[in-house]
Amino acid sequence: MRSEPALRAFRGTTAFLWTEVLVQKNERLAMVTAMLVQSVILVFVYILNPGLLGVAFVGAILFSTFAMGQRVLNEAAYLRIDHKSIDFYLAGPLAPEAYFLGMSLGILVVYIPPVIVVGVLATLIVPLTLATGLLLLGLAAVLWVFSSSLGYVFSTFFRDNRAIWAYSSLFFNVFGVLVPVFYPLGLFPEALRPIVLLMPPSAAAALVQAAIGVTSLTGPQVALALGGLAVETVAIFLFAIYWARRTVRGV
Amino acid sequence: MTETALASVDLRKVYHSRGAPAVEALRGVTMEVRRGERVALLGRNGAGKTTFLKIASTLLKPTSGSVALFGIDVVAQPDRARPYIAVVPQEGKPFFHLCPREQVYTYLRARGLSRETAQSRTAESLERMGLTEVADRLSITLSGGQRQRTMVATVIATEAPLLFLDEPTIGMDPFARRDVWASLRALTQKGSTILLTTHYLDEAEVLSDRLYIVEHGSVLVSGTAEELKRSVGGTLKVTLANGASQVDRFRSFGECVTDGANLTVVVLPHRLGELMELAVRSQLTATVGPVTLEEAFLRAVGRSIDEE
Repeated sequence: MRSEPALRAFRGTTAFLWTEVLVQKNERLAMVTAMLVQSVILVFVYILNPGLLGVAFVGAILFSTFAMGQRVLNEAAYLRIDHKSIDFYLAGPLAPEAYFLGMSLGILVVYIPPVIVVGVLATLIVPLTLATGLLLLGLAAVLWVFSSSLGYVFSTFFRDNRAIWAYSSLFFNVFGVLVPVFYPLGLFPEALRPIVLLMPPSAAAALVQAAIGVTSLTGPQVALALGGLAVETVAIFLFAIYWARRTVRGV
Repeated sequence: MTETALASVDLRKVYHSRGAPAVEALRGVTMEVRRGERVALLGRNGAGKTTFLKIASTLLKPTSGSVALFGIDVVAQPDRARPYIAVVPQEGKPFFHLCPREQVYTYLRARGLSRETAQSRTAESLERMGLTEVADRLSITLSGGQRQRTMVATVIATEAPLLFLDEPTIGMDPFARRDVWASLRALTQKGSTILLTTHYLDEAEVLSDRLYIVEHGSVLVSGTAEELKRSVGGTLKVTLANGASQVDRFRSFGECVTDGANLTVVVLPHRLGELMELAVRSQLTATVGPVTLEEAFLRAVGRSIDEE
């Protein structure tokens, strides 16, 4: 396969994407709960400090695509451990890359509608121009690539679903909620800002916040956020592609 | 494509895990499966059947040795071998939120089959496996046996040149098992090859052209069910309840195998009367029946297939 054109490794992606869509569409409650954290935070912000609602809406959109990685993690691990799906699907012509991408895209397709609703609401509250809107959209997409790749890679290290639920919630909430995603970077301790600018969700949030004038970033801070996000996303995506194939025969 | 569907040579697998002694799961397994054959790996739990199947189906790397599928080395070129195979994994389950029709169809599509072929094979396979009535119900609402049938239906529908089935009829009722057997026979008539693991002796006997008895990671004996039964040395078996302690009195009649407190003696028909007289004199209850694969297994392994 490696000697064949790279695109052939992705053959079957659409078919597996469709499989995942069919699977997920029957779990409507899961789709609703996928927006739970964001919705609760938006309500809290509205009650406690309505002035921050615009920033919180931006954070909700970014967090939503970031949290899709948690879905990928849970789904990939559950299917591998409980359903033996790696044995079932990958001892055959479906390429491991197509399995990973199909699953990630399927989850995106199913979980994106509520994000679009939040996005539409955001346009009513946040002063988005075409440029800032496209920036938000692009960064949300980058976060989806990053977190889906990370989620798939993480999923391969677990042998028990009970452990996954705890660790995946912890990871995605710490890196998606605690850091300045739903609130301005300026409210975060200054000494620790370089660290959060290296974390994709808060880096993306800071860049959008700067674009809509909520946060001011210095040139080096923009470079750090943008560069870090790009390097980390490309690296984890390429690693996930490699790892998907590598782990067909176990970790 | 070569006439040999699967050939393994001196296949070994050692599992290492931290803080525990290494486990030698396969100790030099050499076997061959010809195209169009149905071959069973028969063995107790932990004998190494699943490890062998996982290596042969490109899902596990061996410690040493080789396996080739249709002449393709699965260790060096797993991607070349994968289009030729399909697997029903042990304890595999269909997607709970798909119905059997969607499960089979999407699986075939993911393997690259056209819409038309996938649709017709899905309908055919579901019917063969007696799943038509529940074809549009979510798998989560089906019984364990129906889910297992869905797994088998999915893999059968691929008509892949080589099918690996790890305990394919586990949890099925006798009627469903017969449906599976019939489907597998039909599939080999179309040219597919089947390697299955089982610890159901009747399944191995009825379904397989040849079988390998595996114990502690090694192949102990192989051959057709008839050959293995003949190797026991008689055509009748006499089971003597609580006769194990008197085994020495019966050795002259033929092969004696103890299974717990019971003794089984394999005997030729002309010596049956004599043996029964001795059993009566010894105050033992005797049950007479034809030699089955169970005796062949007991003889080869020294223990019943159900003994842990």
